[in-house]
Amino acid sequence: MLPATAFDREGFLKTRQAWSPAVAEQIAAGEQIELSAAHWEIITLLRAYYEQFDSSPAMRPLVKWVKIHLGADCGRSVYLLSLFPGSPAKIASKIAGLPKPDNCL
Amino acid sequence: MSAAARKSVLVVTRHAQPGRSLARAALDTTLATAAFDQPVNLLFLGAGVLQLIPHQDSSAVGVRNLRKVIDSMPLYDVEHCYVDTDAAQRHGLTTADLPSGAILVDVAAQRALFDAHHHILGF
Amino acid sequence: MLHTLNCSPEHPALQDCLKLLRAEDALLLLGDGVYLALAQCSNGQALQATGAALYVLEADARAAGVHARLALGFNVVDDAGFVALTERHARQMAWY
Repeated sequence: MLPATAFDREGFLKTRQAWSPAVAEQIAAGEQIELSAAHWEIITLLRAYYEQFDSSPAMRPLVKWVKIHLGADCGRSVYLLSLFPGSPAKIASKIAGLPKPDNCL
Repeated sequence: MSAAARKSVLVVTRHAQPGRSLARAALDTTLATAAFDQPVNLLFLGAGVLQLIPHQDSSAVGVRNLRKVIDSMPLYDVEHCYVDTDAAQRHGLTTADLPSGAILVDVAAQRALFDAHHHILGF
Repeated sequence: MLHTLNCSPEHPALQDCLKLLRAEDALLLLGDGVYLALAQCSNGQALQATGAALYVLEADARAAGVHARLALGFNVVDDAGFVALTERHARQMAWY
């Protein structure tokens, strides 16, 4: 368990290096989300996105990115909303240990 | 440029990074506009083309790798960006260096871009 | 189209602006840009050669001491004149 000081006011990890799958579980629990294989698929993709583009995606590019990698059934906002209710781009980035998306208002 | 009939935005980015936050602001503006489904195009003009140099590694200076962010533009449905031909040549940037979807534009084509958009935001 | 130019005559933005300035455009000089309105400024002469309508913001020209040695062909406008220019032109590009 990471202490509260490892997170910023909105619950995002302050340093990316502190992330681990166990930390993801911890953050997800705070969001009342129990991580399933489907969640992990998106989290892994998000981390790959960050690696490639040095930024966390807003909703629109996240949907497109998921569509490219997992197909049209998953690359839909309804699907992402079912996994990460509320604000998928923001919450999934948080669980993936990435910074808050810049263009997510 | 078929988007010209709607309220389209041309973002003109004219400063190199790092040091200047203007390059970052231009890109953020472009992506935020696109994220809200507004027609937007990005024109790299003058020293702005220096943002396109490939293989940037900004990890030691603690800022975004701008080129990597630029490469994410197609995912925001900004399929093309426009690049000042003269400036690219002047700084030794070849077509292979540019992002996929980059379109080289001479002065006449730059001006046509200005005229085809409703709003112009210069950074 | 209205251009505003807010940089010194030595700044590279001037060259970018010059390339894209058309005879049907208007250009307003403000801030450090007012030095381009100095008589004998060669870059200012290049601006005139474009045929664009040229304006200089009065307060900035006065602050720089340029108002007393303006080249012919530059029209002085106050803030209300600036606003009127923006009303006359649908598009605006800021060079700085």
